[in-house]
Amino acid sequence: MLRIVVLIKPVPDPASAAERLTPDWRLDRTAAPPVINGNDEYVLEAALKLINAHGGEITTLTMAGHGATDVTRKALAMGATRGVIVTDDALAGSDVVSTARVLAAALRELEFDLVFAGIDTSDGVGGVVHAAVATLLGLPYCSFAARIEPDLEARTVLVRRISPVGYDVLAAPMPALVAGTQALGEPRYPSLKGIMAARSKEVVTRSLADLGLADGSVGGSVATTRVIDARQPPARAATRVVRGAPDEAAREVVDFLAERRLI
Amino acid sequence: MTATSQPSGTSRLTEEQLLLRDAVRVLADERIAPRAAEIDRSGEFPDDVRELLAAHDILALPFPAEHGGLGADLLTVCLAIEQISRACATSGLILAVHELASLAIVLAGTADQQARWLPDLAAGRKLIAFALTEAEAGSDAAAIRTRATQDGENYILNGSKRFISHGSVANLVTVFAVTDPEADRHRRMSCFIVELPTDGFRVARIEHKMGIRGSPTAELEFTDVRVPAANRIGDEGDGFELAMRTFERSRPGIAAQAVGIAQGALEVAARYATERRQFGRPIADFQLVAGMLADMDAATESARQLLYTACTEIEAGAPDAGRWSALCKLVAGDAAMRVTTDAVQVLGGYGYIDEFPVERMMRDAKITQLYEGTQQIQRLVVARSLLGRD
Amino acid sequence: MATILVIGETTADGGLARISAEVATLARTLAGQAGADATGVVVATDPTAAATELAGYLPAVSAIADAHAADQVAPQRVASAVVEAARAADFVLIGASPDGRDVAGILSALLGRGVLVNAVGVDWDDGPVVEMSAFGGKLITRSRFTGSSGIVTVRPNVVTAEPASAPGTVTEASADAGADLPAVTVVDRVAEASAAAPIEEARIIVAGGRGVGSPDGFRIVDQLAEALGGAVGASRAAVDSGWIPYSQQIGQTGKIVKPKLYLALGISGAIQHKVGMQTAETIVAVNRDPDAPIAEFADLVVVGDLFAVGPAILAELRSRSG
Repeated sequence: MLRIVVLIKPVPDPASAAERLTPDWRLDRTAAPPVINGNDEYVLEAALKLINAHGGEITTLTMAGHGATDVTRKALAMGATRGVIVTDDALAGSDVVSTARVLAAALRELEFDLVFAGIDTSDGVGGVVHAAVATLLGLPYCSFAARIEPDLEARTVLVRRISPVGYDVLAAPMPALVAGTQALGEPRYPSLKGIMAARSKEVVTRSLADLGLADGSVGGSVATTRVIDARQPPARAATRVVRGAPDEAAREVVDFLAERRLI
Repeated sequence: MTATSQPSGTSRLTEEQLLLRDAVRVLADERIAPRAAEIDRSGEFPDDVRELLAAHDILALPFPAEHGGLGADLLTVCLAIEQISRACATSGLILAVHELASLAIVLAGTADQQARWLPDLAAGRKLIAFALTEAEAGSDAAAIRTRATQDGENYILNGSKRFISHGSVANLVTVFAVTDPEADRHRRMSCFIVELPTDGFRVARIEHKMGIRGSPTAELEFTDVRVPAANRIGDEGDGFELAMRTFERSRPGIAAQAVGIAQGALEVAARYATERRQFGRPIADFQLVAGMLADMDAATESARQLLYTACTEIEAGAPDAGRWSALCKLVAGDAAMRVTTDAVQVLGGYGYIDEFPVERMMRDAKITQLYEGTQQIQRLVVARSLLGRD
Repeated sequence: MATILVIGETTADGGLARISAEVATLARTLAGQAGADATGVVVATDPTAAATELAGYLPAVSAIADAHAADQVAPQRVASAVVEAARAADFVLIGASPDGRDVAGILSALLGRGVLVNAVGVDWDDGPVVEMSAFGGKLITRSRFTGSSGIVTVRPNVVTAEPASAPGTVTEASADAGADLPAVTVVDRVAEASAAAPIEEARIIVAGGRGVGSPDGFRIVDQLAEALGGAVGASRAAVDSGWIPYSQQIGQTGKIVKPKLYLALGISGAIQHKVGMQTAETIVAVNRDPDAPIAEFADLVVVGDLFAVGPAILAELRSRSG
């Protein structure tokens, strides 16, 4: 029986193009509809395939205010067993350090063989939290996974880690934390049965006090980084459109590249 | 930003309904939409779509969980019909007819009858048709002549039914037949489930229709068909009332089909208007065109919101459920016809040819003004309710 | 006086990763602005070559030999070996490569320090001021650390590597007893393609999309990449169709790149791909559809068949290079 915790994060839907910052330069998470972070869906799918094969349970873990319930329900509809949401007003504006500490504290309350995370989040907090979480918990850590194969008897997990030239095969003892990529495979769409079953699945909410972290040691107030300002990048010049015979077009293109000293 | 096709009207929907709606939408876009033109062209019943809907538990939506269904409420079933119909009206009808024809069993069947038939229907293994209409009894449903005479433990059915959706592909038929010709108009008939194949049953013809061409519309002949008394739903004489109760819940399904058709047409027209250039600009820049599109959106959205409210009211057991049911079907059917006709107009010459789907959608839309009670019948129902003459 | 530590990465053959040379150049510039010290460290089975290279960019580099670097996965080895040196420094800079991100995350947890990730620019104003690209490039934010220490990961191609006027010193050092991080063993290393630098580092990328149509279709993409001295990239559609591996995918769930030139063949430029490449300095697209989204933000669009235009460009390039 395999027990997997999947870290999932609600992010503004990139396809909606409605992302915005608040006046104090934080991400306004209410502006665009929340969706499960793209890479988290892949690791969730990998987890679902594993428990289909080995039997077991998946617990989702989300630290978020807005959008936590939506993404948890979607994950439950895809087949996760239960959800845990950590939410607290003090957490708004949390940085990498706080996020890692809170997730680690929540994980300490759970029993698992594997923790999965997506390697990156599309809302820009680029992929360092899971390494930090693994370190805080003393878990073996593998990233950029394209394949994850646990061996329950041997209590090890084999992970294919993408490298520039192909992949490395890594072996780690379980419990371990693995950060995975799109290469793990296309996430399933929740079945209708799954969606209806989700309504009776358990979702637990934890506050900082529940986790013993209400002492001001984590949260937006102790963030180690802050945004100073934001600006739009300079607009690109108008597009030059080239039509006509391929040879002519090719000449124009190469002239253009030469002008810009790219060749 | 080019015209999007994000669904709207989410204020009343629960998270679960949204997830369900989106799941069906994705399936419809990816697996059903590519088949729609071919289904219309060939006029063949799309059994692959039936299979798909069954495999994804969509046909299980209207049935109680204890019989393998998903126990979805009326609004949820309608959300699914709407999303499928947006891609293909024939396919949307598969779910709508499945719901319509099983309602008698769900509403009034005994525990035994439900256990006997509902599991196969929920699994999508069997299809069911609704046979009330006859050549001489359309709007005047009480005037049917198909006769069921008692013969010991059985009834003998004689007569014929016309315009029966799925009549040639169904495994079960919900048949309404006269059991007491002397009784009052509304107590003459009873409801039976006929299990096919059976001796004396014959599909006499399949109609060639203007639209929903993939849905087989059949004339069914019953010649001394033997039906066990155990297959009668409710008591003798309950038939008419049962049919009316059925319509209360099935008319929103047709309204959903109509809203879906309208939405599909609106999206094609809107996208076309942003891409088609004349006089040096996209035709969406011209106010005459933009105005039409706006009116089409208004018509579709108001039909949709009325449908959703009607479903909620009917599900909650509102005393004027019949009025809600008629209202939503009336408004949606007219909206679908108007929106699809205008969609053809927006596309101009291209709207008239089958390179674009709007001509099919216009042909498909017309039926929503005709079946499940014509628009005129719906108006009568609404007027009666309004004027206190129920 | 502030101290900046650059953690250098090695390539498979023991040399210095190009991104590390870039980060070192950046660190040196910042150190100059800050009146600070910038030093480097390299951890590898045999760090000498890479450390010497890194010393071309920094005044002082520690070379740490790690016997386990070959058979255990790198980030944990590196972080563990440098943790005290990192603690002693105020700011740590490292490339935002897969390994670099992992090292940054591990050090963040070990040291309790903040991380500013995927920097596209770093200035100095009493501490690093880090520019980051948000919302797929729609917004550039500037951030800083609230305290006096932190870790910054830097994207490739943010600065051009520039050697110092005189090489620095290389000192052999031993790994910190440091953190006891659980080991992850490397059981096998599999090469699926000829050794290529990570696509995020490429200065020129020629990418193919759905329009390429088949694995054979990618030949023209490969040829153009070669002629331009660039790397081959792809949109998600090409990867999903199996024409090219995921490691070459550019976009929301793939790599984010900022090359000098991005040449897109048969790519529509939908948002999921756009966020991966729209900050490229020059974008040229070849597409049959004049209304493809990419036409809205490319610098130059050729409306035509990539299988006609592509070879024509190739021929033109070859004729001009003589």
